Amino acid sequence: MNETVVLKDLQINAGDNILVNKTSIVIEEGEIFGLVGESGSGKTLTAKAIINLLPKGLSYSADEIITAGKNMLTASAEEKKEHIGKNIGYIPQNTVFYLHPMIKIKNQIGDGYVYHMHKTKKEALEKAEALLYKVGFKYPKIVLNYYPWQLSGGMRQRCNIAMALMNDPKLIIADEPTTALDSTVQRQVMDLFRTINEEMKLSILLISHNLGLVKHYSHSLAVMYAGQIVESGYTNTVFSNPKHPYTRLLIEIIPSFKIKKDERLAEIPGLAAENGRDIKGCVFFKRCPKAMDICKEMVAEHIDDKHDHYYRCNLK
Amino acid sequence: MLSYILDRLKSSIVVLFVVSVITFFVLMIIPGNPAQLILGTDATPEAIQELHAAMGLDRPLYQQYLSWLLDLFTLDMGSSYVYGESVTALIARSIPVTFSISIFAMVMAVFIAFLFGIISAIKKNSIADYFSRSIMQLGAAIPSFWIGMVFIVYFGIKLRILPVSGFVPIEQSFAGFIKSILLPSVVLAIGEVGTLLRIIRSSMLDSLKQDYMDMARVKGLSTGKTYIKYALRGALTAPLTIIGMQFAKLAGGTVVVETIFALPGLGRMVLTAVEHRDIVLLQGLVMFITSTVIIITLIVDISVMYLNPRIKSFQQGEL
Amino acid sequence: MRKNISLILGIILVLIIIAVWVLSFVYMPYPPNEMNIPDKFLKPSIDSEHILGTDNFGRDILSRIMYGSRNVLLVGIGSVTLGTLLGIFLGAVAAMKRFANTIIMRIMDGLMAFPGILLAMMLVAVLERGIQGSIIAISIFMVPVFSRLVYSMILDTEALLYIKAAKSYGSSRKQIFLRHYIPAMLPRLITQFTSAIGSAVMIETSLSFLGLGIQPPYASWGLMLSESRQFFLSYPYLAVAPGIAIIITVLGFNLIGDGLNDILINRGNSNE
Repeated sequence: MNETVVLKDLQINAGDNILVNKTSIVIEEGEIFGLVGESGSGKTLTAKAIINLLPKGLSYSADEIITAGKNMLTASAEEKKEHIGKNIGYIPQNTVFYLHPMIKIKNQIGDGYVYHMHKTKKEALEKAEALLYKVGFKYPKIVLNYYPWQLSGGMRQRCNIAMALMNDPKLIIADEPTTALDSTVQRQVMDLFRTINEEMKLSILLISHNLGLVKHYSHSLAVMYAGQIVESGYTNTVFSNPKHPYTRLLIEIIPSFKIKKDERLAEIPGLAAENGRDIKGCVFFKRCPKAMDICKEMVAEHIDDKHDHYYRCNLK
Repeated sequence: MLSYILDRLKSSIVVLFVVSVITFFVLMIIPGNPAQLILGTDATPEAIQELHAAMGLDRPLYQQYLSWLLDLFTLDMGSSYVYGESVTALIARSIPVTFSISIFAMVMAVFIAFLFGIISAIKKNSIADYFSRSIMQLGAAIPSFWIGMVFIVYFGIKLRILPVSGFVPIEQSFAGFIKSILLPSVVLAIGEVGTLLRIIRSSMLDSLKQDYMDMARVKGLSTGKTYIKYALRGALTAPLTIIGMQFAKLAGGTVVVETIFALPGLGRMVLTAVEHRDIVLLQGLVMFITSTVIIITLIVDISVMYLNPRIKSFQQGEL
Repeated sequence: MRKNISLILGIILVLIIIAVWVLSFVYMPYPPNEMNIPDKFLKPSIDSEHILGTDNFGRDILSRIMYGSRNVLLVGIGSVTLGTLLGIFLGAVAAMKRFANTIIMRIMDGLMAFPGILLAMMLVAVLERGIQGSIIAISIFMVPVFSRLVYSMILDTEALLYIKAAKSYGSSRKQIFLRHYIPAMLPRLITQFTSAIGSAVMIETSLSFLGLGIQPPYASWGLMLSESRQFFLSYPYLAVAPGIAIIITVLGFNLIGDGLNDILINRGNSNE
């Protein structure tokens, strides 16, 4: 199989402060890859490093970043810009301000297509119309003439998805794509992602804090904690045999319908570390129910023979 | 949307009314008897008394105000005792001068402010940015009359390339017209540029931080498209609103500039009216200038609303 | 923390002007209005007894600049102080007394509508020309700026919890105003106050330049420029010293205003 994204040993710094550390990801072609973690765990930053969108003031280093077949570490700024524009679709968390509030949908949905694919505006609008229909708008012509604020959150997110699909990208990065939406719309949008993935054979990097969602929709996943990936592998493997205590706790606290009345939702005590993410030992040490003395000093990396299950923990 | 326009119209009319009250009553407490001023010190008390009554000055103040206000609507602003002419005619004659230099100055100021404001925001903390910010501070701190004097010495006397005083009407000679208004407009523009530049720079910086800029970057659009279509489009509202208010400052600035360059415009006439305490002329001029400024602000505000669809939706309660 | 260049530069410039002002009470090279026709139009030179030269009446320009600083600072600071106090009072009344609200704020809108110096000129036409007239005219020009600021700040602060708490403890309105509103509004007021001095100085010099401010033979920088107009084609140095004095003063106060704005209001999130 081919890989859409290969990321090896990524580190992101804000000055002397390490935000993301020792992070490696491989996204296979045509799969939905879930990146799970609490807010502040570094999942959005990791995704932004893949598409060259890190905010000013942050620096990064990695052994390898290959995004949709291009080596991002050797490409020039101009090449990166063009490659990402052509091959990556980005769907943000907040639906309100990613579409320019003062520009009609028709004037912003197709400009990347016109620019990179050398098409006319008319061709772009025809394609946009088809895609808007695909993402569930019955009357795409009307939507094109709206300003973003005239649409609901779910409609805006579907416009974002259509816009991300304009250039037939190889990869879509969806950063908490359903957070701002109510639960029925969430379901529709996620099903739409699955349809797109199946029909168009493109890879999707799904960033979410919602393990239940990722379990349901992803093929592979990685769990991030305090700037590191603590466990990754095929979704089925990880869920059937979670190795890292953090993953286990996360799986335990997925709310289910089996919950009894007046029973409190489970939680993991403590907070993720903000600083000191470069320690030699385990980042989860302070909150880990099974912490051992050795965890302060070092942490073992495990990877099985078939390379489909990885975790960082001293437990066997 | 219509309700917004009506609302703005209503408040403009209220402001105009307040302005007319202030103008009339403030100038009515001017010391000295207007009739005496007109007739001079040699006049007999009887003659002064007669003129006083003829001018309607013996009526109660509110009656005088009402008749003055009614006359305003028929564009009858009385006559100036200094010039011995009707105020309306005097104003009409001065309009071309003042409007020419004001519009010319505004166009220059807007152009320069946008150019430097955008560059300075995009290249924040670069040499270009420090340069723009120096223009911003100096433009606000250098008195226009001083710049005017420097220009006159340099361009008029040393280089002898531009006239240093007087106005050439456009129908007389186009080149002469441009030459005669060039220096005064530049001086006026220097005073305007600072405020505009500041607001363009800061709204541009604000716009550059917005999420839609991330999206434009992911799309990998050309630099021009990214900065002009997305960043600038999101940064226009505040500068445009300020341009409306800048016309007010401009109207004040013309007094000084027209005085230095000896241009027969509205501003210089204001100075003459103040110097001679020509109340009728001053009332007419102040009302005319202030109403013009209020109307321009109103037009700008409504245009901004068309450019910024969100204001419309706020007014309609859609958001 | 990043150094606040605006503030430092502004303070240096204002300190220069204040030093000149203080010195003018202690020592001036010549009496500022003393004419000495034989010594007229002496060019500036470090070696000469008149460092900045003499004007058309042979008066020492340095002494006149020093003396002028008194008038400029008196009018600038005086008018803004007066305008601020009046503005705070009217803004507070408008925000707290419902019946006064519309009347006061409409009048302020009206005053704001007069283009810049026009209002000051109109008022000077009514008042005596001179220091008093300038102070009153400029202070009235400043009133709407401050009253609007105070008005909107009070309405904003009203919603804050500690004000509600103070009310529920039964503090009187006057107490609440003095103890809670004023401290809450202080950063903005101080910033606005400093910047306003810059514009007040600019208006004062413009009025003096137009002959509507301080009257001859007294010295004011604007007036000095105005008097030099007839001669400066032959003696351009006449316009240099007063011009630079005005620029230093206005720039100084504006920069301090900007610097304070960064520190007190934007708290480092500034766009500078």
